[in-house]
Amino acid sequence: MKLAVVVQRYGLAIHGGTELHARYIAEHLAQHADVEVLTTCASDDRTWANDYKAGVETINGVRVRRFRVSRSRKAAASAQLADIVFHQTHSLGDELNWIEAEGPMSRSLLRHLRKHGNAYDFCLFFDYRYCHSFRGAHAVPSRAILVPRAERDEAIGAQVFRGLFRGARAILYNSPEERSLIQAVTANTQVPGVVVGAGADVPQNPQPGRFRQKHNIRGGFAIYIGRIDERHGCADLFDLFQQYCGQPSSKLSLVLVGDGPLAVPTHPRIKHVGVLDEAGKFDALAAAEVLLVPSRYESLSRTALEAWALARPVLANAKSDVLKGQCLRSNGGLCYRNAEEVIAMLQAFEQHRWLSGSLGKSGRQYFRDHYDWRVVERKYHDMLAQLQKAAPRETIEPLPGWSERRRRNVPPAADVVRSVS
Amino acid sequence: MAEFTVRSDSVNVEQIMEQIRARIREKRGVDYTEAQIRELAAARLEQFIDPDKLHSNLLREFHRIRAEGDAPAALDVTIDESVLFETHRPWLRSLRKLLRPILKLFLNTKALAALSARSKAELVRKSHDQLTFELIHNLVVEMTRLGIEVRNLAMRVESMQSRLEFNERRARALESAVVYKPSEPQAFAEPPSPPVQEMRPAEEVRPQPSGGPPPSSAPEGAGQRRRRRRRRGRRGGSQPPWQQNPQNQQGQPGQAVPATEPTPPQDLQMDGGPADEPHDSESDTGGAGFDPDPQ
Repeated sequence: MKLAVVVQRYGLAIHGGTELHARYIAEHLAQHADVEVLTTCASDDRTWANDYKAGVETINGVRVRRFRVSRSRKAAASAQLADIVFHQTHSLGDELNWIEAEGPMSRSLLRHLRKHGNAYDFCLFFDYRYCHSFRGAHAVPSRAILVPRAERDEAIGAQVFRGLFRGARAILYNSPEERSLIQAVTANTQVPGVVVGAGADVPQNPQPGRFRQKHNIRGGFAIYIGRIDERHGCADLFDLFQQYCGQPSSKLSLVLVGDGPLAVPTHPRIKHVGVLDEAGKFDALAAAEVLLVPSRYESLSRTALEAWALARPVLANAKSDVLKGQCLRSNGGLCYRNAEEVIAMLQAFEQHRWLSGSLGKSGRQYFRDHYDWRVVERKYHDMLAQLQKAAPRETIEPLPGWSERRRRNVPPAADVVRSVS
Repeated sequence: MAEFTVRSDSVNVEQIMEQIRARIREKRGVDYTEAQIRELAAARLEQFIDPDKLHSNLLREFHRIRAEGDAPAALDVTIDESVLFETHRPWLRSLRKLLRPILKLFLNTKALAALSARSKAELVRKSHDQLTFELIHNLVVEMTRLGIEVRNLAMRVESMQSRLEFNERRARALESAVVYKPSEPQAFAEPPSPPVQEMRPAEEVRPQPSGGPPPSSAPEGAGQRRRRRRRRGRRGGSQPPWQQNPQNQQGQPGQAVPATEPTPPQDLQMDGGPADEPHDSESDTGGAGFDPDPQ
């Protein structure tokens, strides 16, 4: 079986959630099938600048074919179009313009898909909202399998995505909540789909002491791993944690792993250690009392899965239905709704050691049952085998015509998402 | 903090979170969200404007003003029908004036003018009412909040009072449990300082168990004697304090000597008694330079 993994960026130095997901899946599927990664030359998702050379290379045993990005991303134009699509009555043309502004728009990639798409049995498109997935899936509709990584944000309410979700050969969801959301918005229940997610390559013997020694950290601490920005809830996290520090009995510190545009407040109990390599990240996670996940927008949360793989508990934002669902299903974490609950739950973790142990243990079992690589690979294999046997039922609707694109009768995407909440 | 009752390998996250939330509610007294406060406030406002439940002049005034607003005014007195023909265009004004007698043949201009005046007054009154209602509503919201806060504070005062009472009872119980043993009057007397020529190393003075206690050790208890013996044992017993391990005075690694501790004068060190007591007590407790738990 020959598979194409189509993703916006690819490389060992790229740590975005989607990109890591795609790389891990490509590397694991490469053990069972002929996998080729189709990606762009971009390394920065804010500009889509062509940093890598176009052509073919091999990364971790997987063939990677890079294509140049035709148009760089302009943040202001993209934000303006996003505002129109999300909050105003607009036209399908506005939505298409927004998707192209989001990028990465690579004409050579689309040409390759149109020309050589038949050479692949299936093409796995990662992240539905980007141009490469949207236009790429339209280029090879009968072979397009989506790994949407949808979050409960406004983008999923855009009308042009309905056809994409209804016409794809199959959809590989990250969580049951993601599936419910997509099915509610796009009514695509007839499309074959399975909740898969992704595994995690956790080291057998992480060294928490090494992390403590290297960064001179003593005492218990909670950890945040990921991009430090507002969208991931870091501003709220800082505020909540400082409220927690105001409690006389509070003992935990906060360690931040990652980088981002948001400034980290200067506080004696908040330590920012920057970006760590994989081993360092797992050392840090193993040393932590609890992993904090403050983001409202998550489709899977790999860090939560990694914490559970190491039997560490998770304290997540209850406003993210995915995280809430994962915590409840796994019994591996608690969810907070406000500052009082964060304080109470952190105190519970520091005062009741058995709680961390029990939650971590349940989380590890959940990880082993659902997100171990063997389980994930089997789900992929079963789905692909099933699709190979059956002929495609429906195909993706073609893009709207000239007059249809100009009809301003499409409701704001935010309203659409709100109506299904 | 919440005491969890779930103590098994298979934990139930929902149950734990519910317990934590219940505990928070318990701590806060009553868990009112903003919406609930508004609901409460609305309920009170309804009560406020219900004449059966409240007897205040304010409500009567309210009704009086409203009744006055509703009452039909005497048309001839208050109504000026010329308002119906008002306009800012001079040519139109003159034309209307010219045609007014003809218009009056077809309709009752006085009644129209009255309606116009009333609608204007109604608008003014409505805006006034709106403001008043808003003001009252805000007041009631604030009062509700204050009421809740007062109740919480009362609960806290009550809890502190009960704690205080408990502490008082505990203190009384402890006081009654302690047996007071007065020492002999001379024990509290300051021992006379020995003459300088009689100052000798401790070892030369102390080993006289049969000859009765020296003057300075007369009030010592058994505990003090035991401590002193222990100290002597640590020093090797035979050496005076200034001769043993002089490096310790400079502070050896692992030894407990505070960096800023002043070296006592030689003559004070010669007496093995009270003069070197602070050193020993520090070394007994580990010293100021060592803190097993810096936090």
